[in-house]
Amino acid sequence: MPIGGTSPLVRPAGSVRADGATVKQPRRRQDARRGRTERLAPYVLVAPAVLIIVILRLWPLVLGVNFSFTGDGELNGTPVGLSNYLALAGDPLFRTALRNVGLLVLLLPVAVAIPGMLATFIYLRVPGHRVYRSVYFFPAVLSPVIVGAIFNLMLGYDGPLNAVLGAIGAGPVDWLGDPGIAMFTVVGVHIWATFGMALVVFLAGFSTLDASLLDAARVDGASLRQTIWHVIIPSLTRTIQFVFVTTMIGMLTSMFGLLFVMTSGGPEGATYLPEYYIWHQQGQMNQPALASAASTVLFVVMLVVGLLQITLLRRAGRQD
Amino acid sequence: MPGRRLARWVAAVPMAVLALATIYPLVFTANVAMKTRRDYILDRFSPAGSLRWDNLAEAWAGAGMARYFVNSFVVVAFAVALLLLFGSMAGFALSQLRFRGSSVIFLGCLAGLFVPFQVIMVPLTRVMADSGLIDTYPGLILAYVAQFLPFTVFLMTSHYRTIPAEIVDAARIDGNTVYGVYRRIMLPLGVPALLSVGILDALFCWNDVLISLLMMPSPEHRTLMIGVNALRGQYSDDIPTFASGVLIAAVPVLMIYLFLQRQIADGVTAGSTKG
Repeated sequence: MPIGGTSPLVRPAGSVRADGATVKQPRRRQDARRGRTERLAPYVLVAPAVLIIVILRLWPLVLGVNFSFTGDGELNGTPVGLSNYLALAGDPLFRTALRNVGLLVLLLPVAVAIPGMLATFIYLRVPGHRVYRSVYFFPAVLSPVIVGAIFNLMLGYDGPLNAVLGAIGAGPVDWLGDPGIAMFTVVGVHIWATFGMALVVFLAGFSTLDASLLDAARVDGASLRQTIWHVIIPSLTRTIQFVFVTTMIGMLTSMFGLLFVMTSGGPEGATYLPEYYIWHQQGQMNQPALASAASTVLFVVMLVVGLLQITLLRRAGRQD
Repeated sequence: MPGRRLARWVAAVPMAVLALATIYPLVFTANVAMKTRRDYILDRFSPAGSLRWDNLAEAWAGAGMARYFVNSFVVVAFAVALLLLFGSMAGFALSQLRFRGSSVIFLGCLAGLFVPFQVIMVPLTRVMADSGLIDTYPGLILAYVAQFLPFTVFLMTSHYRTIPAEIVDAARIDGNTVYGVYRRIMLPLGVPALLSVGILDALFCWNDVLISLLMMPSPEHRTLMIGVNALRGQYSDDIPTFASGVLIAAVPVLMIYLFLQRQIADGVTAGSTKG
């Protein structure tokens, strides 16, 4: 029942006359005032949230797009048309950053499949499943700075990972110094740090799964692989969709900390992502308008990737 | 069914390997933190003989970590308090009160959820600088509130939707104003959700790098995470002390994780199932 918009204290006119106007008059005025503050109450309650979100999130978005069409340095504030965007197109560093976004999109299925498979195993009560759930989730609460620092130690030339490689006879790898490898290393560490999040979401999806379907599959003698393919995956389409979208957003927006600590964009700019590029242009190169243009491009890329994903997944869901 | 049982044991092997890969980096770091510099150079893998507190003490005092801890703590405490207050107020209004424009306002909050910080960081920095809030505690607190408020409003709204309207009606008939209903009924009933979302907000703010890097440029205002990163330069030739600093910064979060695992997981999944 609605409560904010109604005026519960208004009585039928007849009752007022019956009671006598002299007593009622001041009370009715008081009631009216109370009714007004009550009607305003919902707006008062949402006001702080709305003001903050509009002024500090939505308005800057408009400002940023507007800003991307103005100049930097001496041209500060003057409109320059598309020249920032042309400068971006000509900047090899920005092109690398965009190419790395493409790489993230390609690696996305891996980042979803790992937690998906582990959640399935946990759901099917692999020995020790309770412990695994807590163990896998714990890196997800660590700051990228901590994770990056720990992996700088792990990936050192004489570090544990190269020691493992040495033990199986492979040569040491320069994980963060080789331009062809560094981006994969950073993405790998990001997946290490975040797959627990997706795992927990998958497990929540599993808890809504109809157990009788699984029993039916078991009675029909379905193998583990058949059960996963024909029962579990189709019933989890919504969860899978959700994990795909959130993992993508996570990859596109929360790798700054790792890049900042582990590679600083290097070697040779190989690990640039748009967010790092924006930060670098704005803070280090003092080119905020160019950085705004890069922000706008990033926003469009994220919208396109998000919409594409939703359409693709929805179509795939319909076929099942 | 023996085949099924076998399959389970086969699956257990990669799971165990991955669990080891999840735990080992932290164990390795903790072990390095307990070594002397000489031991580390000679053999970084062997277990450290005993607990060494001098590395930890050196990282704590030498890098001035106490200062960073206080900065982070103050900022996170205020940001989370404001997030929970504003989030629960708006969540209550949007879920239980019917008023003109409520669906537009809810959509506006959702839209805020889909604006990544990276996209607005340049103009936001400028807005903050223009209002004299850059490099101040209120500025960083406000930036965190703005960043995590859409998420907080969204979760509080979906939590309050599960509370039957009859409870609110009953409280109104008893003579409560809307504000009274909020304070006496909604805040207490919101505690489980406030706890989950508050812990998540606190983790996000505590772990953040980019926002505090932009909003707090001067060294004495550094938050803990920026301070930890600064350790790298200071102790580049003293890895055990560096590892100690990393460990000190990781401990509070690990503690929270050990005690409040369930609430954290609830917060993460709330958006996926209820939304």
